[in-house]
Amino acid sequence: MSFTRMMEGNEAAAWGAKLARADVVPAYPITPQTELISNIASLIADGTMKTEYIKVEGEHTAMAAAVGASAAGARVFTASSSQGIAFMDEPLWIPPGRRLPIVMCMVNRSMAPLGGLRPDHNDSMHQRDKGWILLYCENSQEVLDTILQAYKIAENPEIYLPVGVCYDGYFVSATATPTTVPDQAKVDEWLPPYKHEWYDLMPDSYKMPPPKSFLKQRIGVAEAHQKAKKVIEAVDVDYKKHFGRGYGGLIEEYNCDGAEAVLVTMDSMTGTAKDVIDEMRADGKTIGLIKLKCFRPFPTEKFREIAPKYNAIGVVDRNNSFGSAGGGIVAVELARALYDLSERPVIANFHVGLSGTDVTMNQIRYMADETLEAAKKGKVKQVVDWVETHDLGEVM
Amino acid sequence: MSQIVRSFAPKVDQEKCIGCGMCQLYCPESTVMLTEEKKVVFDYRFCKGCGVCANECPVGAIVMVKEGTQ
Amino acid sequence: MYNDEFEKYYEEQLIQGGTTCCPGCGGPLFWKLALKTLGKNTIVYGDGPCAMCALRSIKIPHYAIHFSFIADGATGISAALRAKGRNDVTLVSSGGDGASSDISFGKISAAAERNENMIQICIDNEAYMNTGIQKSGLTPYGAWTTTTPTGKESNKKDIPMIVAAHKVPYVATASVAYPQDLARKLEKAKSIDGFKYIHTVIPCPTGWRFDPAKAVEVTRLGVDTWVNPLYEVEAGVLKVNRKAEAKPVQEYLGAQGRFRRLSEDQIAYVQGEVDKKRDDLLANDAKKIIH
Repeated sequence: MSFTRMMEGNEAAAWGAKLARADVVPAYPITPQTELISNIASLIADGTMKTEYIKVEGEHTAMAAAVGASAAGARVFTASSSQGIAFMDEPLWIPPGRRLPIVMCMVNRSMAPLGGLRPDHNDSMHQRDKGWILLYCENSQEVLDTILQAYKIAENPEIYLPVGVCYDGYFVSATATPTTVPDQAKVDEWLPPYKHEWYDLMPDSYKMPPPKSFLKQRIGVAEAHQKAKKVIEAVDVDYKKHFGRGYGGLIEEYNCDGAEAVLVTMDSMTGTAKDVIDEMRADGKTIGLIKLKCFRPFPTEKFREIAPKYNAIGVVDRNNSFGSAGGGIVAVELARALYDLSERPVIANFHVGLSGTDVTMNQIRYMADETLEAAKKGKVKQVVDWVETHDLGEVM
Repeated sequence: MSQIVRSFAPKVDQEKCIGCGMCQLYCPESTVMLTEEKKVVFDYRFCKGCGVCANECPVGAIVMVKEGTQ
Repeated sequence: MYNDEFEKYYEEQLIQGGTTCCPGCGGPLFWKLALKTLGKNTIVYGDGPCAMCALRSIKIPHYAIHFSFIADGATGISAALRAKGRNDVTLVSSGGDGASSDISFGKISAAAERNENMIQICIDNEAYMNTGIQKSGLTPYGAWTTTTPTGKESNKKDIPMIVAAHKVPYVATASVAYPQDLARKLEKAKSIDGFKYIHTVIPCPTGWRFDPAKAVEVTRLGVDTWVNPLYEVEAGVLKVNRKAEAKPVQEYLGAQGRFRRLSEDQIAYVQGEVDKKRDDLLANDAKKIIH
């Protein structure tokens, strides 16, 4: 039975794992992911969810157990944040290299020592080189829907890559918004049981992938990422057809018609940004919003297609990449994506919400105004603007 | 083509052999076999010439000889 | 001449003849003996570089990550087996001494605490051998390694008793020099649900510095001198398996180059420690030692 009620991101994620019929969940608690796993424990305890829940002693073990279980034919779900994701850094390389379709929620939290419990995106973006697919979510509903989409994407035999479903701690994980939990039978129809075509550890049917050089394996991962772009979009379209909700797959263009400049945001601040953009549009300002949902594989082709429409793109980086070529992680990626275009917009780059400070409507208005100015002038004032260093008045 | 490089190889004196099977039991590489006819045979493709079989034989029926002379 | 017969033999033994291990290594010997009892319906999860060299040759399903992942990948496989309702499959998790006592020590403790259904085996060659003989927590006192060139200063961790303290159903020490005892213990482990731990010290002629031909002989001496005694702890009750008179430890130490530098005093110290352990074991034989 489908039902709708107010639900925090961490509860929505637990329902996502339940609907996906995750066989094995090895997980270790860490703020702000904790409620996700205690919700799973409750769902198991009251008989709603039938899952082998392994209460491991640390995140390093959690990902190792995930690898073992996935290779042995179980659909695996796990989750962590910040220090926990860092603690499992060694085994995080394994699923993409071995093509194991594990789905993991990365409940964003800033990394110590330059952060506490509140969110920014360094912890998940740090995984961008390993080969994980990284999808970002704006609210509880999107978290649940993305988990289901994630399994469909990951378990596609052309892909066989693990997927990180990322969402901000507190702002999404602990903020209740209306969430529809689809009917289990409908999900079962849409998401078939997991069966890896390359791996079987059972003695009667033992099968391992044939030996391949490291080079060939690397090329395989790279090719899977390239194919994943189309698969991610197709899965979203299909999901929308069956469940009535879609998110654009790689990016969402929001209120961009006729805009001369756009902001690019990710994750929870997108919700606030959408309101601000609507307001500014009503005021006659020609600013639109691009929600970047899929960070890996980076939607290079998509951005190349739409960039010529705009004179400036304001990239909002809720992360630091100290010593980078210029600015935050997304800005550097986007600059490379657009570099070869004969005509390309100016890129304005902003740091905001670092270490999990609130991203206020005033800050978004400021970034939008700066981007519009960059569009008019054809240049930016600095490589990256640390928005939080400006006194922008009242919170709202 | 892989090669096992041996300095010494095992050689059995079938007359002395009592068919106890200790050599087969303790060979680390599984390259000593006691056949059904109670004959000790070696898989020289993979034997490393470690000498455990010779050392464990209770009657000294196996000796290690220079590689190539077995 | 007997190539075909050997090919058949290897299939039956569930291990391919000729591994990339050193001549006289106890690793492949252990697996050859163990597989006779474990049988075909087994999954082996394990790593630890020297052990890996032997594991590549076994003819049953096996999977590994690295030696920092001992018992935890197996935990995942165990959960997958439960999810699939396959309680007929024997799950063996193995690691070397470096894995078991150092980098994955916490993993083994945690798997024991969760009473994961697996047979955890420590294949102990008493140092990080595959990376060129460096000291581990299971290197014995006084042993030469490249990182303890004047002899290891600290004592060997007592992993079997540490694991037993977790109140797991079965812990045992075993030896490749006593194959029947090893077989009986593996059979026993197979028949019990929950976390079983078997510790086996295997000979390493390369790292212990002795003629490979003496591999089994030296291992046997290790047991006969009570340096590596054979015992079981089943449901908290100790059972000492081999109660023969102890040969002097000097016979065991003297047979290996890695103990060449030990002084008279140090040998006496080792003898003293071994005597204490032996007395302790015999005094508690057939008693409940884990409460």
